[in-house]
Amino acid sequence: MTPMQQIAILPYRKVIAIAMRGLRFRLVKTFLVTCCIALALAFLTYILCSNGMTAHLADRASDALQQRLAREGMLDQLKSADKQSQTAWMLGIALLISFVGIVNAMLISVTERFREIGTMKCLGGLDSFIVKLYLIESLFQGVVGTVLGMVIGVILAYVEGVGRFGGDTWNLLPPGELAVLLVVTFGTGIVLTVAGALYPAWRAAKMEPVDAMRSEV
Amino acid sequence: MSATDNIVSVRGVKRRYKMGDEEVWALAGVDLDIRRGEYLSIMGPSGSGKSTLFNMIGGLDRPTEGQVLMDGQDVRGMDVRQIAYLRCHKVGFIFQTFNLVEVMTAEQNVMLPMTFAGVTDGEASGRARMLLEKVGLGKRYDHRPAQLSGGQQQRVAIARSLANDPDLILADEPTGNLDLKTGEEIIKMLSKFTKEMGKTVISATHDDKMLAASDRVVYLVDGQITQIKTQAELDIKIGGIADRSTGAAH
Ligand SMILES: Nc1ncnc2c1ncn2[C@@H]1O[C@H](COP(=O)(O)OP(=O)(O)OP(=O)(O)O)[C@@H](O)[C@H]1O
Ligand SMILES: [Mg+2]
Repeated sequence: MTPMQQIAILPYRKVIAIAMRGLRFRLVKTFLVTCCIALALAFLTYILCSNGMTAHLADRASDALQQRLAREGMLDQLKSADKQSQTAWMLGIALLISFVGIVNAMLISVTERFREIGTMKCLGGLDSFIVKLYLIESLFQGVVGTVLGMVIGVILAYVEGVGRFGGDTWNLLPPGELAVLLVVTFGTGIVLTVAGALYPAWRAAKMEPVDAMRSEV
Repeated sequence: MSATDNIVSVRGVKRRYKMGDEEVWALAGVDLDIRRGEYLSIMGPSGSGKSTLFNMIGGLDRPTEGQVLMDGQDVRGMDVRQIAYLRCHKVGFIFQTFNLVEVMTAEQNVMLPMTFAGVTDGEASGRARMLLEKVGLGKRYDHRPAQLSGGQQQRVAIARSLANDPDLILADEPTGNLDLKTGEEIIKMLSKFTKEMGKTVISATHDDKMLAASDRVVYLVDGQITQIKTQAELDIKIGGIADRSTGAAH
């Protein structure tokens, strides 16, 4: 009797190719999910940037700007604890909404694609392949959405900054701080999307291939 | 008969489904030896357990009791990667609902089992084109399932089922969603290729017009085999079938 053979693990390159094909085909859905991520991340980046600028008004703004802001009573207003906690709340809610949005979009895509998933499993696809497929799809949307959101957020923060603080805006945030801020936002975006895809990916992998055989649609 | 003459042996297989307090025996003790190279049809009314039996043979489901031996190896003892190997290399599935992956072209659909098998893209693409040519869709390799008729989709599925050159083709009501003429073409094509390539075919059907290609017909009622007929017996019966007094009761 020949020894029992087992299937090879599909290389990541192949899984990525299959995932990309799906994303391209479902372009509208991909776009919407990416936008949802971008929106939340734009908000996060904007808030962090503009808070960072305000925090440095005292030590990095020119004397002229400081005098003008003091005259207009804006310095106290910008630093008020009320405003800070309010933005923190809004930030939390924005991130939560986008997280729920991702989980929801991914879960819908599992239900919609039950036949496709079952078929792939009938043809020799492993559970781990299905998990990777979903994680890669969400990771791709996460990276694109996050980068897009960060760019939008930074632009918004600086446009608003120039409006309020004029040419001083460019000096307010130290480059090192800005870099840290961008890394943190990027990480948040990726963690958010991958975490949002974990449960849906697991659900997809656990689907029985028998369901693909069922004649009822 | 030695184990190698039978590609599949089903021994005392039972399958129970629990629906709340109710128990359904989808298969109530089935014994069946499937010979290498034969075209076997399974006839039976809806709910008789045809699909359940298929799922057992294809490694999609495991029996509650009994054994399924593929090439003499017990499916129940296999781990997930061995089962996946079985589905990928040893069995070609054809479904009633075609089950092509909608985001992929005909060619990519036929390539998929080869990709899972670790075949390189170039080789897989060449073989996919060849198989599509064979089922008469050589020019349509770039079409997506939505751009193909039901009959064409099922032909892509036939090509896909042959992708990794499996010994066994499992077709669960392959003509169930097709009109009579298209259905007959599909059966003809299936039996022609599989005979040419020496494949074993197990095909389920409701319709006795689809039995012409069969070497043997197994009748399944309420999860049990009631009779097995050979082609010779079938010919006699088909003579008498004109008055519609025989054949499957459904
Ligand atoms: N997942 C399930 N849960 C509960 N009962 C099931 C399940 N799958 C099948 N059954 C039951 O098992 C029996 C056999 O079903 P099966 O699908 O094998 O029949 P079939 O012969 O393929 O019918 P059809 O011709 O309609 O496809 C039926 O009574 C069915 O209700
Ligand atoms: Mg069935």
